[in-house]
Amino acid sequence: MDAITEVAQWVLPVGGREVHLNATTLIMSWGVMAGLAAFGLAVSRRPALVPGPFQSVAELLVQVSRDLIAETLGKRGPRYFALILTLFVFILISNWLGMVPFLEEPTKDLNTTLVLAVIAFLTAQAAAVRAKGWRAYLKEYFQPFAFMFPLNVIGEAAKVVSMSFRLYGNVMGGSIIILVVSHLVHHLVLPPLLGAFFGLFVGTVQAFVFAMLTLTYISVALQE
Amino acid sequence: MIVEAGAWTQAAAVLGAGLCIGLGAIGAAVGEGRTAEAAAEAIARQPAAAHKVQRTMLVGQAVAESASIFALVVSVLLLFAARPSPSLLQAAALAAAGLCMGIGALGPGLGAGFAGATACTGIARHPKAATSVTTTMLVGQAVAQTPAIFALVLAFLLLFATPSQAGPLLPAAAALLAAAVSAGFAAVGSGVGSGLAAAAACDAVARRPRASGLLVRAMLVGQAVAQTPAIFGLLVAFLLLFARPGDSPLAPLPAASALLGAGIATGLSAVGPGLGAGVAAASACAATGRRPDLSASLLRTMLVGQAVSQSTSVYGLVVALLLLYVV
Repeated sequence: MDAITEVAQWVLPVGGREVHLNATTLIMSWGVMAGLAAFGLAVSRRPALVPGPFQSVAELLVQVSRDLIAETLGKRGPRYFALILTLFVFILISNWLGMVPFLEEPTKDLNTTLVLAVIAFLTAQAAAVRAKGWRAYLKEYFQPFAFMFPLNVIGEAAKVVSMSFRLYGNVMGGSIIILVVSHLVHHLVLPPLLGAFFGLFVGTVQAFVFAMLTLTYISVALQE
Repeated sequence: MIVEAGAWTQAAAVLGAGLCIGLGAIGAAVGEGRTAEAAAEAIARQPAAAHKVQRTMLVGQAVAESASIFALVVSVLLLFAARPSPSLLQAAALAAAGLCMGIGALGPGLGAGFAGATACTGIARHPKAATSVTTTMLVGQAVAQTPAIFALVLAFLLLFATPSQAGPLLPAAAALLAAAVSAGFAAVGSGVGSGLAAAAACDAVARRPRASGLLVRAMLVGQAVAQTPAIFGLLVAFLLLFARPGDSPLAPLPAASALLGAGIATGLSAVGPGLGAGVAAASACAATGRRPDLSASLLRTMLVGQAVSQSTSVYGLVVALLLLYVV
C-alpha cells in the first residue's frame, strides 16, 4: 500500500542545484504525445475518400468538436479550436492509460494537471486582452467596486487551482480505489471492471469537463 | 515519549479517516439521489427521451460524486501514507485534514446533485436541447465543486506539510483545527449555492437554448461571487496555518481559543452568504432565461444584491482577523 505516495524520480545536477524530474510522469506523457502525433500523421498522410476506421474516428472528433466550439465562440472559434481539442485528446488518452497494466496516467501527477490548467488560464487571459485591450481588461478587476480588486484576483487564480485539482483528484481517486480493491480481493475480477469505470467513464467525463471549462472561460473572456 | 506520539498520530489518522469519508459521503449521496429522482420523473413524463435522460443522469452523478471521491482520497492517504517522524502536532494536523475534507465535501456534492436533477427535468421538457443542457450542467457542476477542491488543497497541506512546532502545543494544534473548520464550513454554503445557480441555469437553457451563451455567463459570474465566502474561508485557513501562536502574549489556553474562534467565525459566517449569493445567482439565471434582452441589467442587480448579502461574511472575516492579530 506504500505505492500510493511513492514517486519515482530522476535527480539531475544542474549548475550546483538538484533538479527533480518525475520519471513515470515524463515517460508516460511523452508516450501519450508520441502516440497522438503518430495517430495524427497516420490519419492525415493519405486521406482516403472512403475513410478507414482511424480516419473515421479522427474526422468524427474534429467535426463534433469544431461544431461545439463554433457554437460557443462564433467566428473566433477556429483560433482556439486546435488548443481545446488538443487538451481534450491529451487528457482523454492520459486518463485511459491507467487501464493498461504497468502504465500510469500522467494526469495522476499534480504537476501535469497544474501546467494544463495554467495553459488554459493564460489562453483565456490573452484572449481577453486581445479582445478588449489592456485598459478594459484591467478595469474588469475593479468591478463592481474598486475594493473588490484583491478578491477578483484571487477568484481568477482560484480557477487554476480548481481546474488542476479537479482533474488530479478524480484520476488519483480512481487509481486509489483500484489499488485498495486490488489489495482486498487479490487482483481477481473486480479491479479491471473498476478500471473500466474510472478510466473510461470518469476519465472521459473529466477530460470533457476540462475542455469545456477552458472553452467557457475563453468565451467569457471574449465577451465585454 | 516517541512511542506515545506515534500512537497519538495513528489514532488521529484513523479517526480523521472515519470522519472524512463519513461526512464526505453525505452530500454527494443525497444529491445523486435527487438526480435519480428527477430522472425517473422525467422519463415517466417523456418516455421517448429516456436514453438522453439516463445518459445525463449518469454523467451528472459521476461529476457529483467527485466530492466524495476527494474525501476517499484523503481518507486512504490518512490510513496508509507513511509517517517517518510522528509528533503530537502532526496528530492534530491529521485529524484536522479529515475534518476539513469531510465537511468540505458536504455542500458541493449536494449542489452538484441539484444541477443534475434540473438538467434531467429540462431534457424531458425539451429533448432537442439535450446537448447544451448537459454541457451547461457539466460546467456548472464542475465550478460548484471548487469549494470542495479548496478543502482538498487544505487537507493536502495538513497531511504533508505539518509546520514545525514553535512554542506550546495547544495553540499550535488549535490553529490547525481552526484552519480545517474555517475552510470546511465555508465550503458548505458556497457549494450548495453555486449548485443552485447551476440548477437554475440548466432549467433556463432547456427553456431557451438560444440564450445558452448568456446563461452560462450569468451562471459563472454568479457562482464566482457565491464562492467568495469559500475563498474567505481558505484565506483565513492559510493565515491560521502560518500563524505563529508562539509569539502571542496570551497564555496557551486563551491563545488556542482565540485561534479556534477565528476559524469558527470565518467558517460559520460563510455558510449563509454562500447560500444566499447562490440563491440570487439562481434567480438571475432564471430571469435571464425569460428576458435575455435584459441580461446586463439583471447581472448588475444580481452583483449588487450579492455584494450586500455578503457583508455578513465580511463581518465574520473582520472578527477572525481581530482574533488573529489584535486580541
